[in-house]
Amino acid sequence: MQHPPHLQIELLTKPFEPLQKLEQWQQERNNTDPEASAAEALFIGRVRGQSSDGQPLCALELEHYPGMTERQLERLATACSQRHGVHHGLVLHRIGRVLPGEAIVLVAIAADRRGPAQRCCQEILEALKHEAPFWKREWRADGSGHWITGNTPW
Amino acid sequence: MTGLGSATIRVRLFAGLRDAAGWSEQEWPIDLARSPEAVWQQLQLDGDLQTVRVAINHAFAAADKPLQAGDELAFLPPISGG
Repeated sequence: MQHPPHLQIELLTKPFEPLQKLEQWQQERNNTDPEASAAEALFIGRVRGQSSDGQPLCALELEHYPGMTERQLERLATACSQRHGVHHGLVLHRIGRVLPGEAIVLVAIAADRRGPAQRCCQEILEALKHEAPFWKREWRADGSGHWITGNTPW
Repeated sequence: MTGLGSATIRVRLFAGLRDAAGWSEQEWPIDLARSPEAVWQQLQLDGDLQTVRVAINHAFAAADKPLQAGDELAFLPPISGG
């Protein structure tokens, strides 16, 4: 029997500390679901110090489509979690101005087994990179801003 | 031709597309907005609709899907999340 996945999905306008968020998420799970999942997979993405053409990067600006981005993340994460039969998921994504070294995305998945946990984590990450309306603008030292029109290599 | 205040849709642009156009949203009479591709042709923006994704009411949609009054139509340049 499959239970609906418990998903926590948030867009954050301020810097966040991934390990603190993970700890909160795990504590809440332990409180509500004493039979903790045996496998967890996680991905933390941070902003590079270089622009896509190798120049020093001052900041990355993350634009989203309010309403649609949240809805699309919910849809993607729900479909993926159900497909893999995972129990719990955490998806955090920054919006606004993000500095090099700061976390931009966190995906954590809890399941019975490592296979579903890792596959679901990877699939949600790729889905949000390609199927959720986010746009990145690179701000460079000379004050110019450039919209990125694709994703970084795998 | 419909007049001001009659049935319209809302057209929205994002990121590089918005910057290039110089506006982020407009109201369009439904009479001139049969489908996303019809609106795109009238906007005469740089670029090919092949490289742009269409969303209607916060969901991805085909470029030839008929529009209805009250719809929110968005043209989305290539996405780069994560």
